[in-house]
Amino acid sequence: MTQATAIAIRDLTKTYKDLKALDNINLDLEPNRIYGLLGRNGAGKTTLMSILTGQNFQDHGSVQVFGHEPFENDATLARICFIRESQKYPDDFKVHQAFAAASLFFENWDQHLAQELMKEFDLPAKRKIKKLSRGQLSAVGVIIGLASRAEITFFDEPYLGLDAVARQIFYDRLVADFAEYPRTIVLSSHLIDEVANLLEHVIVIDKGQIVIDADAEELRGAAVTVTGDVAKVQEFIGTAKVLHRDALGALASVTIESQLDAGRREQAKLMGLDLSPVSLQQFVVRSSLSSASERVDEKSEAWS
Amino acid sequence: MNRIIKVARMQLINKATFIGIPLLILFSAFLFTVVIWWLVRRNDAEGILYGGGAQAPMWYFLALGIQALTLTFPFSLGMSISRRSFYLGTLALFATCALVLSVFYYLMGLVETATGGWWLDGRFFALQWISENNWFIQIMFYFVLMVLLFMIGFLIATIYMRWRQMGMVFFFTSLGILVIGAIALITFTDTWMQFWEWVMTWSAGGVTLWGGLAAVLMAGCSYLTLRKATA
Amino acid sequence: MIDDSKPIFIQIAELIENDIVSGVLAEEAQVPSTNEFAAFYRINPATAAKGINRLVEDGLLYKKRGIGMFVTEGAPQRLREQRREKFQQQFITPLTAEASKLGIGINELVAMIKTSSDT
Repeated sequence: MTQATAIAIRDLTKTYKDLKALDNINLDLEPNRIYGLLGRNGAGKTTLMSILTGQNFQDHGSVQVFGHEPFENDATLARICFIRESQKYPDDFKVHQAFAAASLFFENWDQHLAQELMKEFDLPAKRKIKKLSRGQLSAVGVIIGLASRAEITFFDEPYLGLDAVARQIFYDRLVADFAEYPRTIVLSSHLIDEVANLLEHVIVIDKGQIVIDADAEELRGAAVTVTGDVAKVQEFIGTAKVLHRDALGALASVTIESQLDAGRREQAKLMGLDLSPVSLQQFVVRSSLSSASERVDEKSEAWS
Repeated sequence: MNRIIKVARMQLINKATFIGIPLLILFSAFLFTVVIWWLVRRNDAEGILYGGGAQAPMWYFLALGIQALTLTFPFSLGMSISRRSFYLGTLALFATCALVLSVFYYLMGLVETATGGWWLDGRFFALQWISENNWFIQIMFYFVLMVLLFMIGFLIATIYMRWRQMGMVFFFTSLGILVIGAIALITFTDTWMQFWEWVMTWSAGGVTLWGGLAAVLMAGCSYLTLRKATA
Repeated sequence: MIDDSKPIFIQIAELIENDIVSGVLAEEAQVPSTNEFAAFYRINPATAAKGINRLVEDGLLYKKRGIGMFVTEGAPQRLREQRREKFQQQFITPLTAEASKLGIGINELVAMIKTSSDT
């Protein structure tokens, strides 16, 4: 397999009436990695994935999947699997018939894996799809996504209605199967804490714009929360970029974007300040919020 | 090409939808009709008895056209199928089913004639207006009618998939205006008599020809509409 | 196990180092594979590989083609020496600093250490 870019996105813009769902997006996705596509509801995640899989279309810009436009391109689409959060199935289909259909279209389909997963998720093969619970419906999507072994697989909030145990099965199976059959996985989620450790690369989208596009490992430890006396905290953080600030009387808790070395940590200790790690989830939340307020600032400056 | 055939195979995963239900409808309609004829004959009725039950599966095809799209199209997008493959595969499958069923109608019409209308002088398959034509027109007549009804359902469903409620409102409003306009025109020009006389001159061959053209036109429209439809 | 304070590959490297120092992983013992680490800690396999590669670069692990990763001979000793060097800086300096802040004299400190190592 070549190491060429799996997905290349240039100046991608999509507008729904007066809502800018995607605002001039540029992104490159490498093959055989697990990507996290994170962001709030309505940030543009599903729209982006729909365009990448030829299910929707852009207003401007281009997308290339393995060097080809995916829209109406059977050869390229055959290498992609995208099961929506609200995926519809033919009403009269039974669970095993949905898998039979998937096995027709996904060349690498592994029926054995599908059957194992069906057992693990406790999914009744002969039940009609329309009689499944929300969680069972999600399990059908998860199984198609995993067993398809498509070269690029998108999971769009795949866990709706799945309990903690079922979600853990999904994560475990994803890691195990990815290790054995490396491929490009794009995992869209807002349960960031749950998936954080699975990700190699993190893309955060907010109001149709990319706010973070970085290796997950770079983000871990990239921020720290400093807690203590207001004046001392201020002295310690200096000019570091502040992501978030909380105050309680004379006590301040400030999250800064900064990687502290041992010396700085020592200094904090001597100043009587508490340092606490920032999880990927907190980091993403803080970053999107601060990027949102920055954009507001830009706008108000433009107005003045 | 391969994926087009796979779409047809996907539509056949549940064999009831395309094959089982139409046959079931046809046979129960036929059975009911024959029972009714038999009861009528016991009361010493005279003359040929007609039954319109052969149409029954065709109306199911209208619903099938809608169902094939609303249910299977969003699923097929999830199966990474292009709209073109979905369209061609679904239509090819339906056309094949319709052709087989049309031939079956024709053959049953022959049996009907040979048995003197199932020994009851009834007409179910071999309505005189149709059976007086040659075999080709007979088969094509049934075929075109089935495809036409399927395409009507398919086109309406495509418009819904593409433009949702607004599309439906626009489509049915336009259709209503057209129909009312035509009725008004005939009424105000006082030409209802001429209209019905004209209708009486229709031949099975002519209906087949014009119906076929309408079906082809609708097929083209639904493809162009589907190209930009989303799940 | 895995937390948010620093990159996961560093944590994986440290976990393996700990096992080597404590003898859980003996010299010439086979180390679990990247995929086993990934599955066990539920982390990305590429991240696990990065942690292991770091130890290979440091010469603490070595690769046998087609078989797997093994602990280099002498790795425990080298790690222990490294840690001894850091011991002063990591533990003794803060200890004496805190002790002097609290007014604990050096003799008292030694006595305290003796008591806690006896238990």
